[in-house]
Amino acid sequence: MRIPCPFCGNRDTQEFVYRGDASPTRPDTDEAMHDYVYLRDNVAGPMREHWYHAQGCRNWIVVTRDTRTHEIISAEFPR
Amino acid sequence: MKRFSIFSLAANALSGHRKWAPTWRDASPRPGYDIIIVGGGGHGLATAYYLAKVHGITNVAVIEKGWIGGGNAGRNTTIIRSNYGLAGNGPFYEWSMKLWEGLEQELNYNAMVSQRGVLNLYHSDGQRDAYARRGNAMRMHGVDAELLDRDAVRRMAPFLDFEGARFPIQGGLLQRRGGTARHDAVVWGYARAASALGVDIIQNCEVTGFVTDNGGAITGVETSRGTIRAGKTGIAVAGNSSRVAAMAGLRLPIESHVLQAFVSEGLKPVIPGVITFGMGHFYISQSDKGGLVFGGDIDGYNSYAQRGNLPVVQDVCEGGMALMPMIGKARVLRSWGGIMDMTMDGSPIIDRSPVDGLWLNAGWCYGGFKATPASGWCFAHLLATETPHETATAYRLDRFATGDVIDEKGAGAQANLH
Amino acid sequence: MAEPFTITEHTNLALATIMARKGVDPAAIEAALADTQLIPTGPGTWLAVSYCDPPPYPGEGRGPVPTPDLDPGLRRDTLKDLASVSDQSGGYIVYRFSGPAARTLLQRGAFIDLHPSVFGPGSSAVTVIAHIGVILWQADDDTSFDVALFRSFAGSFRHWVEASANAHDRHPDESRDPWDPQV
Repeated sequence: MRIPCPFCGNRDTQEFVYRGDASPTRPDTDEAMHDYVYLRDNVAGPMREHWYHAQGCRNWIVVTRDTRTHEIISAEFPR
Repeated sequence: MKRFSIFSLAANALSGHRKWAPTWRDASPRPGYDIIIVGGGGHGLATAYYLAKVHGITNVAVIEKGWIGGGNAGRNTTIIRSNYGLAGNGPFYEWSMKLWEGLEQELNYNAMVSQRGVLNLYHSDGQRDAYARRGNAMRMHGVDAELLDRDAVRRMAPFLDFEGARFPIQGGLLQRRGGTARHDAVVWGYARAASALGVDIIQNCEVTGFVTDNGGAITGVETSRGTIRAGKTGIAVAGNSSRVAAMAGLRLPIESHVLQAFVSEGLKPVIPGVITFGMGHFYISQSDKGGLVFGGDIDGYNSYAQRGNLPVVQDVCEGGMALMPMIGKARVLRSWGGIMDMTMDGSPIIDRSPVDGLWLNAGWCYGGFKATPASGWCFAHLLATETPHETATAYRLDRFATGDVIDEKGAGAQANLH
Repeated sequence: MAEPFTITEHTNLALATIMARKGVDPAAIEAALADTQLIPTGPGTWLAVSYCDPPPYPGEGRGPVPTPDLDPGLRRDTLKDLASVSDQSGGYIVYRFSGPAARTLLQRGAFIDLHPSVFGPGSSAVTVIAHIGVILWQADDDTSFDVALFRSFAGSFRHWVEASANAHDRHPDESRDPWDPQV
């Protein structure tokens, strides 16, 4: 699996650290915090996720990847 | 059910082994059951067996989308052990070990349970202290544990790299009662025994949805082979728990991750038991067929693909070469990936779900195989009595909300660190 | 016959990381440092490399000495409104790989494509060799490469160099297949 880093180009996943689903946003209430921290959609299919290019440009990247096939659909900086 | 014995073997040998009956009955779905177990892996079949055997509930179906034992039951590294440190885990896994010890007589089936020992190596003073502590916790729970020094390890496994290694071996924590079992035979043995007690095993039957009553309680399953009514529905589909639970509107504290394993060409007996490397993620045993069976860490990203990537292959092989350079000449025959239900604390869930009629057996991370007998026993107990078995009271779904997590590694709510 | 490759340690480099301040156009920083070699390490970040005399180090093993103004181009007042500057001269060790086999040797460690058609003079990359993070760039039109890594990893990195260079009991030579043990 190679991730097309927007700055460095195509790189092996060994250079990256995985963080997980990029979709949830930090909630304001304590009640919603449990769901945010512990529950997952655990998508089977295309999923937006955070990868950190630790052994490259040291930027966070939002990668859209199909969890059923490992196909990388897109990779972009979060902003 | 015809019992297997030396006499049945001899009789069938005389007839050229052409008269063996099918090991279990391949059933078609009936309109309804008292209990449906979704998932025909080791856990699901063991649950059905103990429902019938221990609780006398025989109007049970196990439904499986593919063939029984075709998921993680056929994709693990066959290790059994009960060397856990936390109170929520120790008694459960020890109960599983006790069930393993009597399994073959219980099922009248050769599951090739082999208590050849599990040895966790330590390579530093701090790691020795941690293993001493874990060993003490095990012994307080009545589990066998021995802390070995370097000379004792060398006598057991002289081929390890004791000289000039980057991480010198100082000793190991040994559970002699740990070992391996034949994974397929475990599935077949439970299927045969459950089928003989009247359980329907229904293959090629994929759940596509749940049937609910007006109150929202689940009263059956929609499947690729039609609707089947059920008094209770239990799911034991680790790897795909989130996908099945989502059909009932549930989000679980689980991510699916891929774990790879490897087997080498067959070699003469050389590895005495199960050996784990303390300074890298690498563990190894040798199958009775001679292949070295080894693995390491999960790949670390969400996956349903049942195959992994090369960085972990490299990592596992580097760990193996650092620990026992002699395996460098052995050729890898096959590798494969299984999909793990990784929970947020690294421990499983055996509990009722918030949806009436739906019961959960999930979140086995990469430790599901060794748990097979106790998982079935405790899930059957829960389904039959609606109270958790005494060894599985900690495996609650709501423990993440209450703070009662069972985090052996102390890694926190990040699934890929457990 | 020339050595297939040589490896030497730069002892006269002054290094600094340059990080653009929020909202600053990277082109403005590149213009302000037009006379300094800049290795891009990320969006709006560079490793600035300059040669200084006397060397920033008094000698191996004695640790870094303060080097606030190694190069006029890196003076903090030049960049004060544009970028943050952090001296890295003591943090990184930089090796020069030269010779016809240098590229082959590095390719054994880095899993990016170092073929001359895609990695030539002026090319650079932040990547990893033998689990060690490196910044590498082609240093000239010939076959010289500079590899910067954190100084504390130097021993491990040299171990990788020796192991890779001695693969098949000989130095790599681009004129032959480096993976053919018969050669």
